Amino acid sequence: MIFEILAIGLIVSSILALFLDEVVYSVAALSGTFLFTALLYYLNGAVYAAIFQFVVGIGTLAALFLSGEMLGEKSPKKASPAKTSGLIGAGILLSLPAIFLSVSDQTTIGPDIQIGEALWSLRGLDVLLQAIVILTTALGIGIVLYERRKK
Amino acid sequence: MDFTILSIIMLAIGIYGLLTNRQLLKVFISIEMIAIAATLNFVMLATPNGLSEALMILAFSVDTAVSAVILALLVIVSKRYGTGDLSKIISKQENEESEDEAQ
Repeated sequence: MIFEILAIGLIVSSILALFLDEVVYSVAALSGTFLFTALLYYLNGAVYAAIFQFVVGIGTLAALFLSGEMLGEKSPKKASPAKTSGLIGAGILLSLPAIFLSVSDQTTIGPDIQIGEALWSLRGLDVLLQAIVILTTALGIGIVLYERRKK
Repeated sequence: MDFTILSIIMLAIGIYGLLTNRQLLKVFISIEMIAIAATLNFVMLATPNGLSEALMILAFSVDTAVSAVILALLVIVSKRYGTGDLSKIISKQENEESEDEAQ
């Protein structure tokens, strides 16, 4: 039962995050999405994934609140309760297929190993991914500086 | 309860938001939804397994870096054009280009 409630909460909060007019309310709804995702991970036994989701979510929300205040344009009209309740209803309707339908069995992938061993055996991939991220960031900064110099 | 369908619904919501929203921050939130859908599917199909969680943590770190770069770009673009609305940004960009051509 708890999984179904969390799934409905996840879908409803993600719809509210996308379709509410005011940016600050959208970010508040996004915090619900992160929270419900972390809870789903935790209740499914993925404790480390839940902790990381929670931590990453808090960081993203802090940055989004700040940039939302900077970038968000105040909409002249107030959010109507009818629209909000319509969005919540749409979210509940959309989450019904996930509750009542089934397309797959829960299976495990690969051998059952501990997270410490897995992180150690994946260290090469970790370094490679971090290198890609740093390279992409450097390329982006390089392009921005090049464009600025050209102007 | 099927987490594959749940992640498909999340993916659909994210793609719909990406295609229909004109505000830069909403576009960013849509990208976050798509990332959540991918990680949700992965974790739910693979738990309890240390390997999947380790891969997830790597995916989170890349996702966070990508989010930081996107947010920085959004701030730069909205400061440059004075708005966070995509359609206004595009029209301002076209105006600037036509002014450059006229000069």
